[in-house]
Amino acid sequence: MNISFDLNGQPLTIIVEPNTSLLDAIRDIVGITSVKKGCEQGECGACTVLIDGAPVTSCLVLAPQVEGRHVTTLEGLEMNPLMIDLREAFIENGAVQCGFCTPGMLISAYVLLRDNPNPSEDEIKLGIEGNICRCTGYTKIIDAILDAAERITPE
Amino acid sequence: MSPLPWFEYHSPKTLDEALTLMNTVDSPKPIIGGTDLLPLMRDGASHPANIVDINNIAELNYIREDEGFICVGATTSLSQLAVSPHMKRVHALAEAVKGIGSPQIRNRGSLAGNLCNASPAADSAPALLVYDAEVKLESVNDERIIPLHEFFVGPKVNSLEPNELLTEVRFPQPPEDSGSSFKRIGRRRSFTLSVVSAAVYLEMDGDVCLESRVAFGSVAETPIRATDLETMLKGKELVEDLISDAGRKAKDFVHPITDIRGTAEYRRDMCEVLLTRALYKALERAR
Repeated sequence: MNISFDLNGQPLTIIVEPNTSLLDAIRDIVGITSVKKGCEQGECGACTVLIDGAPVTSCLVLAPQVEGRHVTTLEGLEMNPLMIDLREAFIENGAVQCGFCTPGMLISAYVLLRDNPNPSEDEIKLGIEGNICRCTGYTKIIDAILDAAERITPE
Repeated sequence: MSPLPWFEYHSPKTLDEALTLMNTVDSPKPIIGGTDLLPLMRDGASHPANIVDINNIAELNYIREDEGFICVGATTSLSQLAVSPHMKRVHALAEAVKGIGSPQIRNRGSLAGNLCNASPAADSAPALLVYDAEVKLESVNDERIIPLHEFFVGPKVNSLEPNELLTEVRFPQPPEDSGSSFKRIGRRRSFTLSVVSAAVYLEMDGDVCLESRVAFGSVAETPIRATDLETMLKGKELVEDLISDAGRKAKDFVHPITDIRGTAEYRRDMCEVLLTRALYKALERAR
């Protein structure tokens, strides 16, 4: 079946099966591999994307369900000022080790700071509770998000 | 990685269209968030031939007040509910909903779906039970509203007919002199199922309790109301001794099992702890 949606600001029509997940559609059909396939149970958050601005695990979304919606992956936020601050803070704070969780973690961190530019440590932990990292022990990720919050230029 | 089994996908735009599909296609399964359904399908525990996606039915997405009831449409997400101004005095439900899953899950998952999944550990269920919630079940030729406690039949079993949709969850708007609270214990703080949960709703006149409702999750085959405990509290002054006494008696009213998340003994003991905590918190809010 044909589905049409907006991916990273570009209108797109692709052919999928009814039982294709959004995750598989983005990785295998569109070819964007920053969206990682981890648990396929919605637990690990490595496949997090935005649908109409809200973070969701793309493994739990059927591709036909995004008909007419706006889907955003990390690539769609490449030039976003907040994401640039976050990316640099992640690098400089050593918040990336194997890197598998990083795209999903960055998207959750982006939503957190977009909605709450000055979060407490507890609010950060709640913001990234849907993203598992097996390397860092989270400490450096939390440091990076706190650092990015400080870098955000006040408007 | 196991792929999803094959199915036909339907995306009705109106409730009538959805109910017709539910009545005509072979083994239909409604989907809202899919956060429970898709993992079940990948595990081979659910294999519907037809999936009816009700997310695009605009008339099912709402939170509104209607004749003293707060009404929540079926496709309303847990995130929508968590930030709704209608939740201002509905503390137990707000607390329960904010603890379900993760932000990603709450953005997809719905209150209706959490109930239809009928897990004994569904956090929204004990909270809704203490508000005397009802569910509206619709099919092509029928509409019925039943109390939520009648909706739960057993672990993962609800009382929906194969052609029915749960279209609305509703409960009376809590009055000014009421207070409620939801408490849970999980294996960790974040993104985990409850090992035990308790919800309390109180209406107070000064120190005297006019109405009390108590419910527990993860301690029986379904989420349950503890009516005997409620009777103990009703019409009494809620002094420390009575609250402690109710806590101790909580163990007698629950029938937990031992599973990977906790032992029956632990769950019984935690019912006392959670009930006491929830009672004090609800009392504080009712004043």
